[in-house]
Amino acid sequence: MTKNGIAGQLLRVNLTTKKITNEQLPLEMFIDYLGGRGLGAFYLDKEVDPKIHGLSPENKLIFFNGPFSGTMVPGNNKINVAFKSPLTNTYSYSLCGGHFGPELKFAGYDGLIIEGKSEEPVYLWIDNDKVEIKSADKLWGQKIADTDHLIKEELNDQKIHVACIGPAGENQVNIACVTSDVFREFGRGGGGAVMGSKNLKAIAVRGSKDVEVADPEGLMELVAGLYPNFKKNPKAQIRRVEGTNELVRGINNAGFMCTKNFSEGTSEANKEFEGSLFREKVVYNDVSCYACPIACGKNSAIVSTKYGAVKLEGPEFETLGLLGTNCGLTNWEDVLHVSAICDALGLDSITAGGCVSLAMECFEKGILTLKDTNGLELSFGNGKAEAELLEMIAYKKGIGADLAEGPAYAAEKWGAPELAMHSKGMTFAVYDPRGAKGMALTYATSPKGAHHMVAPVFGGEMAAGNRFEEKGKETLVRNTQLNFAAVDSLGFCATCQNGFLRADQLKAFKLVTGYELTEEKMLFNAERIFNMERMYNVKNGFARKDDTLPKRFTEEPMAFGESKGQVVDLETLLDNYYAAMGWNNDGVPTEEKLQALGL
Amino acid sequence: MSKVLVADAKKCVGCRICEQWCSMSHFRTGNPKKSRITVTRSHEDYMDYPVVCRQCVDTPCIKACPTKIDALSKDENTGAIIVDEEKCIACKMCIKACPYNAIKVHPSEKYVLICDLCGGDPQCVKYCPENALYFLDREEADKLVAATKEDE
Repeated sequence: MTKNGIAGQLLRVNLTTKKITNEQLPLEMFIDYLGGRGLGAFYLDKEVDPKIHGLSPENKLIFFNGPFSGTMVPGNNKINVAFKSPLTNTYSYSLCGGHFGPELKFAGYDGLIIEGKSEEPVYLWIDNDKVEIKSADKLWGQKIADTDHLIKEELNDQKIHVACIGPAGENQVNIACVTSDVFREFGRGGGGAVMGSKNLKAIAVRGSKDVEVADPEGLMELVAGLYPNFKKNPKAQIRRVEGTNELVRGINNAGFMCTKNFSEGTSEANKEFEGSLFREKVVYNDVSCYACPIACGKNSAIVSTKYGAVKLEGPEFETLGLLGTNCGLTNWEDVLHVSAICDALGLDSITAGGCVSLAMECFEKGILTLKDTNGLELSFGNGKAEAELLEMIAYKKGIGADLAEGPAYAAEKWGAPELAMHSKGMTFAVYDPRGAKGMALTYATSPKGAHHMVAPVFGGEMAAGNRFEEKGKETLVRNTQLNFAAVDSLGFCATCQNGFLRADQLKAFKLVTGYELTEEKMLFNAERIFNMERMYNVKNGFARKDDTLPKRFTEEPMAFGESKGQVVDLETLLDNYYAAMGWNNDGVPTEEKLQALGL
Repeated sequence: MSKVLVADAKKCVGCRICEQWCSMSHFRTGNPKKSRITVTRSHEDYMDYPVVCRQCVDTPCIKACPTKIDALSKDENTGAIIVDEEKCIACKMCIKACPYNAIKVHPSEKYVLICDLCGGDPQCVKYCPENALYFLDREEADKLVAATKEDE
């Protein structure tokens, strides 16, 4: 049983030896590492050599909840998975909302470590204390929704929660995700490929244990008082109506919305995807993760399209941007269709979009010909061709096999490395860093490659009216990185921070765990987590030379729009940032810094 | 006249805040399996279905409870079904009889869980952020259900 918010144990499953063990996990670990992301960094550093290949049996999938998972703390349901990424060759982590994390807590576990490699396809069935490794013969080859359905049939319970991989993960495609409850992903970094390399198709969980907190009366009082904050918060409310697609209007108008492989920062055509039109044209109801009073999730459908009926949860903003505008798509039919394909095959829709847009630019420039593409007309805006290429990536066919290794590999092989819009092998999110210089720093210094959520500072930059300035961004990015290291570890959703401020997060920590965590200690721990992540990569030879951006962002001025003329001065950003972090000029944490953090 | 609890699946978003308040207010613990209201998400039709006791007039659960057990009764003030935890043996006869699948067995004890309307102030209704749960006079509830059916 979980006391003070903590189950106090992690489940370790070795797929090579089939050995299943429980290990004690004291509350102190949650004080020092806060939860999911921090504990992931701790265990990865302790147990997985940074130099191994991401798809080797020595790699591990390290799932951890935060201390609030399964409690009534609103907007808290994110579970983290840490692993060595086969895509970026770096430390990687990915967070997933929904209901899977809380269910693992109800089964009595704060975390789950998967290690080794099974000889045959298997899935894991966690039913409270009863844990079994079961045959996945009938599941192998199945798409995401079918896998979820078949497991629930086999186990005869519609209420269990399943995290699984699709064909992309099985085929060890480096941009494969792990999907929970059909539509919620541990998206980036290729966790799905790692799971596939272990011959692990799925993890099914059912729990019926208590999650007790230190002060239930106090927690009920705090939580009841928090709900009105979400209703009052304008950001939370617009997210409710338009989902994350509320961002389209502002980013497109400001001229830094990825368009045609980041060759443009805005387009008239992108206006079709503004949040209000999203709501009006394709959304038919709202969906929430566990304990979330906002419900930014949207189910979308178009009854009749050239592809037939399309229905899915999403697409959220990043998927829409990378699969949509960045590939030149101009209508909802195509966007919904390609999103649904990524969902079905288990592809990270952000990186998949960055891969397709790369192939499209290569095709338009004549670097890839019809012969290379097996007759596929990969022009920007061709949704049908995009859909076919996504299938080719998931099944490693034709040029899809190149992209399955990652965009950097493919672009290098095709002789156009400058056209892969990536940092450390991972493609960018929607925000073209030329239009928000803080984002340039976020992307370049992220421990997992060009991911936006390590420090999504663009909103603050726009509000402050200084988005084109390099000056001062080191402080903004540093503070945001530390904030996110903390909230990611605690299990909070970024959207839910709108309405759930730090002072209340700390109150919740006390009421749930009984421990009084100060803001100072929380940020100290966050800084230690972030430095551990950095050091994991440093041990593998990463340094300033790897904190890069494509030449497009540092040398090609934005051609038109509200970010016209902008390029990123990355070297100035890095100089100031490393100094602010207490790292040397090569981007390596100094001895003094590491000692001060107790590392 | 006693009031009844009505759930509107069309408004439900599946946050399960109702389950959390039910479990916390009755047991001071977070455990959906101890909640008397249950939300099930269907990935087939993209809907969330809240399931809870509807305080049937003809009480098939009470009728199904074996005479020698006699664990179920109707609260005269609130109209809620009250489970005598001492008498109940979790034989599941009421579960089979319930037309709405609204009864479950306590996950670790030998008795069943049925909505007790929190003594007349259902916490799930109070905290549902979607206003998807109603606590209404039976007459009004019947009208609402009829209107919903007409809609369909």
